[in-house]
Amino acid sequence: MVSSIKETKQDKVFLAFVYLILTVALVIVAYPLIYILSASISNPTIVAAGEMWLLPKDITFEGYRRVFQDSSIWNGYMNTIIYTVVGTLVNLVVTLPAAYALSRRDFVGRNIFMILFIVTMFFGGGLVPTYLVVRSLGLVDSMWALILPGATSVWNLIVCRTFFQSSIPRELQEAAEMDGCSNFRLYFRIVLPLSTALIAVMALFFGVGHWNNYFSAMIYLNQQEKYPLQLVLRQILVLQQMSAQAGTIDATMATSLNNKAEVAALVKYAVIIVATLPIIAVYPFLQRYFVQGVMIGSVKG
Amino acid sequence: MKKGRKKGAVALSGLLLFSVLASACQSGGSSTESAAETGGTVSKDGFPIVEQPITLSVFAPSADMAPWDTMPVIEEMEKLSNIKIEFQTAPIDSFPTKKNLVFASGELPDILYAADITPAEQVSYGTQGQLVPLEDLIDNYAPNLKKILDENPNVRKSITTTDGHIYALPFIDTTAVWYRGPMWYNGEFLETLGVEEPKTTDELYDYLKRVKTEDPNGNGQADEIPLTSVKLDDLRMYFLGFWGIYNEVYYADKDGKVHYTPQEEGYKGYLTFLNKLWNEDLLDHETFSQTDEQKKAKGAKNQLALFSDFYPYFTLGGTEETMQDPMMTPVSSEIADTPVYGKHPGMSSNGTFAISVTNPNPEASMRWIDYQYGYDGATLWTQGPQGMMWDYVDEATHEKKYLEVPNGGDREEFRATLTPNYGIVTPGVNIPDLTNGLRSEVEDWVVQQNEEKLVPIAKIPFPNVYLTNDAQTEVSALLSDLNTYVEQMEAKFVTGQEPLSNWDAYVAQLKKMGSDRIVEIYQEAYDQWNSENAQ
Amino acid sequence: MMHEGAKAVLNPQDVPNQRKSKKLFKKIVRNWQLYIFMAPALLTVIIFNYVPMYGIQIAFKNYIPALGMAESKWVGFDHFTRFFESYYFWDLMWNTLSISLYGLLVGFPLPILLALAFNEIRTGPFKKTVQTVTYAPHFISMVVMAGMIITFLTPSTGMIVNLLEAIGITPPSFLTDPRWFKTVYVLSDVWQATGWGTIIYLAALTAVDPGLHEAAILDGASRLQRIRHINFPVIIPTITILLILNMGGLLGVGYEKILLLQNPLNMEASDVIATSVYRTGLLEAQYSYSTAVGLFNSIVNAILLIVVNQVVRRTSENSLW
Repeated sequence: MVSSIKETKQDKVFLAFVYLILTVALVIVAYPLIYILSASISNPTIVAAGEMWLLPKDITFEGYRRVFQDSSIWNGYMNTIIYTVVGTLVNLVVTLPAAYALSRRDFVGRNIFMILFIVTMFFGGGLVPTYLVVRSLGLVDSMWALILPGATSVWNLIVCRTFFQSSIPRELQEAAEMDGCSNFRLYFRIVLPLSTALIAVMALFFGVGHWNNYFSAMIYLNQQEKYPLQLVLRQILVLQQMSAQAGTIDATMATSLNNKAEVAALVKYAVIIVATLPIIAVYPFLQRYFVQGVMIGSVKG
Repeated sequence: MKKGRKKGAVALSGLLLFSVLASACQSGGSSTESAAETGGTVSKDGFPIVEQPITLSVFAPSADMAPWDTMPVIEEMEKLSNIKIEFQTAPIDSFPTKKNLVFASGELPDILYAADITPAEQVSYGTQGQLVPLEDLIDNYAPNLKKILDENPNVRKSITTTDGHIYALPFIDTTAVWYRGPMWYNGEFLETLGVEEPKTTDELYDYLKRVKTEDPNGNGQADEIPLTSVKLDDLRMYFLGFWGIYNEVYYADKDGKVHYTPQEEGYKGYLTFLNKLWNEDLLDHETFSQTDEQKKAKGAKNQLALFSDFYPYFTLGGTEETMQDPMMTPVSSEIADTPVYGKHPGMSSNGTFAISVTNPNPEASMRWIDYQYGYDGATLWTQGPQGMMWDYVDEATHEKKYLEVPNGGDREEFRATLTPNYGIVTPGVNIPDLTNGLRSEVEDWVVQQNEEKLVPIAKIPFPNVYLTNDAQTEVSALLSDLNTYVEQMEAKFVTGQEPLSNWDAYVAQLKKMGSDRIVEIYQEAYDQWNSENAQ
Repeated sequence: MMHEGAKAVLNPQDVPNQRKSKKLFKKIVRNWQLYIFMAPALLTVIIFNYVPMYGIQIAFKNYIPALGMAESKWVGFDHFTRFFESYYFWDLMWNTLSISLYGLLVGFPLPILLALAFNEIRTGPFKKTVQTVTYAPHFISMVVMAGMIITFLTPSTGMIVNLLEAIGITPPSFLTDPRWFKTVYVLSDVWQATGWGTIIYLAALTAVDPGLHEAAILDGASRLQRIRHINFPVIIPTITILLILNMGGLLGVGYEKILLLQNPLNMEASDVIATSVYRTGLLEAQYSYSTAVGLFNSIVNAILLIVVNQVVRRTSENSLW
């Protein structure tokens, strides 16, 4: 919207420079990505020998076949989508209001609460005590064990607070108060609609967190049909990479491990693609929320 | 409406908090679950093990996604024994964590299977009463295992903790020779250069030098890499034997004297030799940075003359199992009575099977596992039921043959659907009869190479011993710094970043870091083990 | 004006005590809904973070899982002493801090610059492509990442090595020379994290008032000037907060990637607290020792955060508390 105004020569040079830099960045970042894509369908020995530079060589789809021959992968996809959607919603519902409260300077006790939260960024009880708490709540082997313990992300909470504090004009709040508008109303009717960019970013941060999470699934889930995608893929990868413990394995086993090791390289790349394509595809849709001026415009309007 | 929901949430969370605190307070409430009815008397011999069916819960790591409960081996076993098993499996990579959580939360399964129970865990869980002492059960309910232990008193000593009890059973394989894959020569190179296998380190050096300069792969380029390794881990133990050393960190020599390897004169000889190879580019200069895949890629391009692997063709490529690449005969050095070879002790160092204190049927559990320590059970559990993957050619001699894999798949992958004993170290025993007729020609050839080249000079470097908790803590603390120091100095000496003239200063530093204390602790443990053994 | 509210509460020297507490009470009552906003977050944190915190005691005990936490023996500061007195303590500290600071120095400004640059170009396919492509590396697992680094930098066949040779530069031993380790580590991190790091700034930039730009253009301000005086100030609070948070994570260099890139030759530059603890603590199940080292890390990190926050607090209003 701003660029519609006539540019000076200096600005044009500057803009050209910006485009140049971005193009260079694009190339630098894209190369390894293409490499991964190619490596996932190339003969692994050629890749290991450093003979595959950019385009796939001696094409094979064995890596993908191995990934998809496991029927549990679809189930894993389903689980991950459920965990991600529910988890992200819970995160947003818990974190955003708290962040808003903390952003209010007239909120008595905000510093104490802030410190309570910050302490947890540094100090934690460790795995076993946390597990015992989750277990005593009866959450083991349920989706909630993956969602509730991390419902509040202090890091994101702080980022949200900063956003509210610096981007929601104080005058707005004061005016609302004068009108006798309750905090609930203020939050739902004014603050949230003004914060679509923040909500988009947080949804992304939390969503990606859930999407990539395998650790709590590994700890808290026992039934395989509840495993999320990342855990299923990890399993496949681990199977392919089982290292030979000599002396305790026999010849057939060693042979089979050796055959697998070769495919393991392929699977490693295929797994990345399978696991991340969906979540990468989400990003372009979120980009439309990052448009400058949406917020102020709507306030004034 | 929103308000109401929020309040509900608050109330709910409050309730959660309360229940957490409540449960945190009633600590130590041991899980005295309703003991399942014991299935009447347990027969001491033959099947079924119990008259009335019983159920046991088993905690185990799994190397495959296939559910264990429906595997043919498990079904067959249930039919035979009248014991139903409920498995709770965890993927191998998360198993250690889960095992810790199982013990920490006090929700013990009846049986730990293939559970990789370290000596330290055996001691601490055993003395704390979470694991049941097994020695009486073995005597009364494990005829197969008892027979093995009577025939191999060393194994019995090695699984008996310092308080005289046995808390976990090992995997036993008295035919094992290697700790890890040996060194192999590229047979084609030997032939092209018309060389017999080197007998001494000097001859070895000469040979590697010729590989470097005489283009044995015949491609017109000097691209041969005479000796390669991945971070030296794959050749260290084998090469140390050339200088009379049995193992990488500590070992007992023929006279029962314990040594800390990195401060031995032989270790200096090893460093000096590798340094010479490095300086003349005979040892791969990518040794310290390359991955296993990269090493194999070099093998596939026929650049390697000497390397380590389980079988030579794993590195040299091709799926054809050939016998033309000989196992390296260890060579002798300036040190007297060399070479030597550190032989595998024939049993897993960690326990594979244990019975928890909450198990209502320890006798039946012991009978159940003992099956795997005899020929029939071991066959069933490793190869699956007869008629699925294999069948007898001659049942009397135990000679077998493989059957076609259904749908022409990979045999190992098929095996993974038959039995849980796949990719994990399970309880049981390995005896040559198990694979009678199933072994390939190459496997027999390797056994023969072992007999010829390694076994005559082999000795077990150090028996499996138990340290007390305090000794274990002290050793771990000392070794953590020592290992880091040694690992870095080894690389520096080999690559010449640290001249070998600094050897004395290096040894002095080791002593300062407590290397002699390591020797002391292990000498004591060894003497203890030895005196038990003499009884 | 901004500070007035806070001052009225915290520093009301001219107001008698009684009136002060009455006013405070009124304020609490008026904003009761804000406490409800806080409640779910506070509750989850108390349940899942504070309740398990008794686990910290094992740093001062010789924790044996079989005995349980309560029964294990107290050993005081033994584990801390062992860590401080270990031969490599200062090396580990130095490596951890220098990798962190190096990473911060290079890695922190780049997402800001990139976000400002994204903000300048027209919305369209190019912008979308660059944004999405730079964002993608965030999802690459450490194993694959490290594998690629090794492949690209291997002396005999690596692409980057060959490229350097082609333009006449003798490549250093990237993988084994300790002097290169930190650069390789930090630059690969930059490659992986920069695009992802822009997202938060892009969101913050949405708060820029287009009216200001229009006015500035009429005044003849150049693009660069407008970035400096209009866009940049809007993201300063975010920058400040992220900087504070990053300072509070200086000792938090993870072990996964380093372990994959580590070898005996670069170890003097690559061994950090986390990798050392991984080797000695986790692999050998010395839970007490690793907890103790973790606690030490946390305390140092917390102190750093407090100090930086105090400094920021004096100079701006964007501090954490």
